[in-house]
Amino acid sequence: MIAREVTTTKESGQGADLGGGSVPIISVEHVSLDYKKEKEQMPVITDISLTANKDQFVTITGPSGCGKSSLLRIIAGLSKPSSGVVKFKDVPITQPRSEIAMIFQNFVLLPWRTSIENVVFGLSSKKNLTEDEKKTIATKALEDTGLKGFENVYPGELSGGMKQRVGIARALALEPQVLLMDEPFSSLDNLTAEHLRSEIYSLLINPSSSIQSVIMVSHNVEEIVELSDRVIVLSPRPAHIVGDLTINIPRPRNKKSEEFFGWVDKLYSLLA
Amino acid sequence: MLIALVLSILFSLAIGILAARNRRAEAIIIPVLDVFQSIPILGFFPLVILGVIAVLPSQIGVDVAVIFLIFTSMSWNIAFGVYEAVKSIPQDYIDLSQISESGSWRRITSLYIPASLSRIAYNTQTSWAVGLFYLVSSEILTLGSQNYQATYGIGVRIIQYATEGDWTGYTYAIISLIIAVIIWQFVFLREFALWSEKYKFVEEARGAKKDPIMRAYSWVNQRSISKLFLLTHGRGVTRFTSSLSRFRRGIKYAIPIVFLIFIAFEFGALMTLPSEVKHLPSLSVVLGDESKVLVALLFSFIRVWYVYFICSAVGLPLAISIALNSKLYNMLAPAIEVIASIPAPILLPVLVIYLNHNGEAVAGLIIFLGMIWYIIFNVMAGVRSLPHEFFELRNAFQITKLQTWRNIYLPATFTAFVTGSITAIGAAWNTLIVAEYFSPFGASAPTTQVAIGIGKTIAVATTQSPYDLLTLTLAILSMTALIVIFNLTVWRRVYHYTTKRYAYNR
Repeated sequence: MIAREVTTTKESGQGADLGGGSVPIISVEHVSLDYKKEKEQMPVITDISLTANKDQFVTITGPSGCGKSSLLRIIAGLSKPSSGVVKFKDVPITQPRSEIAMIFQNFVLLPWRTSIENVVFGLSSKKNLTEDEKKTIATKALEDTGLKGFENVYPGELSGGMKQRVGIARALALEPQVLLMDEPFSSLDNLTAEHLRSEIYSLLINPSSSIQSVIMVSHNVEEIVELSDRVIVLSPRPAHIVGDLTINIPRPRNKKSEEFFGWVDKLYSLLA
Repeated sequence: MLIALVLSILFSLAIGILAARNRRAEAIIIPVLDVFQSIPILGFFPLVILGVIAVLPSQIGVDVAVIFLIFTSMSWNIAFGVYEAVKSIPQDYIDLSQISESGSWRRITSLYIPASLSRIAYNTQTSWAVGLFYLVSSEILTLGSQNYQATYGIGVRIIQYATEGDWTGYTYAIISLIIAVIIWQFVFLREFALWSEKYKFVEEARGAKKDPIMRAYSWVNQRSISKLFLLTHGRGVTRFTSSLSRFRRGIKYAIPIVFLIFIAFEFGALMTLPSEVKHLPSLSVVLGDESKVLVALLFSFIRVWYVYFICSAVGLPLAISIALNSKLYNMLAPAIEVIASIPAPILLPVLVIYLNHNGEAVAGLIIFLGMIWYIIFNVMAGVRSLPHEFFELRNAFQITKLQTWRNIYLPATFTAFVTGSITAIGAAWNTLIVAEYFSPFGASAPTTQVAIGIGKTIAVATTQSPYDLLTLTLAILSMTALIVIFNLTVWRRVYHYTTKRYAYNR
């Protein structure tokens, strides 16, 4: 049963219309993914289509193991779908690109490099920048994520929240247009996660931010309602879309309001 | 070989269980095993021969000594495995067996032995290769001696073929050795290892099961490294960190015990000397001998290390490259396993001819062949255990190949590389003794030797009739002392540094 309350996407024009609001930033078109196990094809995702438009915060959610992380990786260009295509501003994504940056659930920092070295490492693909330029960018990124003074600290000496901040800095240093987040706060304790949620949100709505669209994977219902404009709910494996909600609570969102609880309930019922 | 293996396993079970269950025993046994692991056993072999002969008649004595040597080389590895296996048994099972079983014998059969089986199986794979090396090397070593020669063995046969110019015989012998190794490894050992899986307590990742190289080398070699080097990979290590202080106290007992064993053999050796020679040498003679020994040691030290650098330069990138490519790895891994089990010394006759009796070249090549597998295996295992996330990171941020090597592959495998290096250098010291001096049939046949080296010193001492006991003793002691001191100072610091900076928690 699909609860669809969303505007359908307009037909995309030819070519990459980079300025227009009518072209979705990310468009997932009839994507399916099969998992090959000992000569058998097991479908993980079946025929999923969704779009993320400009200034939209989209969350993909669903029960554990339904394939939402796999879907995110297809969007990132890290895996290839078995069928269907994902497009960035109308250009098919076949491999990762620097306009699309990712934040990982387990931070994935290099333990033998300092914070700033980790962020500079993330800038490896920018071949036209000098080392000094990369360092400057990295320093600013760390400052923006509240890690000023921690540039020369190793991940082993950082708390979980700080590690994820480095991860965020690393992604933002690329000045990406799309930010992908794979359960970014689930490895953190509640308090830290709360702080980071509001910080990420401030970073995103900052006018100087390059980010035009965010796609997050999460199974924390409150978090989803707090942050998202649009929620895509997937079924258990093989996953297809069972819910597509547009949350229109005005921001900043009050987590104790009736409206908030209403959406939380609605989301829980779709997930159950 | 089989006798030695069976004895090894029994001995290891006994010692390992004792050490795991009895704190005081643990404090003594583990450091002793540690010390034994680090010293170059092959150097002690001539001494062992003499010591055994003091008790047993000459010909059987040599063979017994060979078996003893092989037994020794295999035991430490397996004993450590048993020790760790028993220590890792969840306390609940121990409690349960204490309640339900009557008497400790049943506990041993129903709990400790099954628990250890898996480690024993995997450790046996590496131990077997080690044992084979010692078998061949000890046989070759005895060939130089006029009095004490091993009766019959594959090592002897192979060398005999070569020196008689019977190259077809030589080739057939080597091929049959390879086939025997293949059959043994793949039919028995691998089956043993996989069968023993069902005795494990914890279900490990599915993928890991099918890869016996990784299972055998990734934690086996790490564990068999002296516990002086704190390990941070894997579970079970936290238990050891708490016992480190006990370990430090234990080392005080370990060294005297090992020393006592040494003295015992020395005494036995003395007994076999004809009476004219049995007198205490003057101090000046001792010092003179010792200074020669030290010079030889220096030369060998340099030799070992320059070969090590070549080995690393070749082995490290090669191992990483192969291990990164799954298809290549699956193809080559079994082949590498087999090749690595073939002890390098059997190639001595061929190398001698091809390199024109150039002692330095032969020595270098034999040491290289002996060392490189340790580095390759450990690094490959290191690469195979890289978390999937690093590869995702590399892809997501489109990291260039150069940057990936510099920032991911090399640092991530560094601890594995250090582990492999430590074992490799240890192996190199052992190999020296057959690498630096090769004289198949006594002084009359042409010998291939380096100008100066401690391996040569020891080997030459065994060609005298009777053995030049003074030089032998001094050489062995000096070499061992150097190795132990080096371990305690350099390796320990290196390992401490690398595990602090380069380990990652999985």
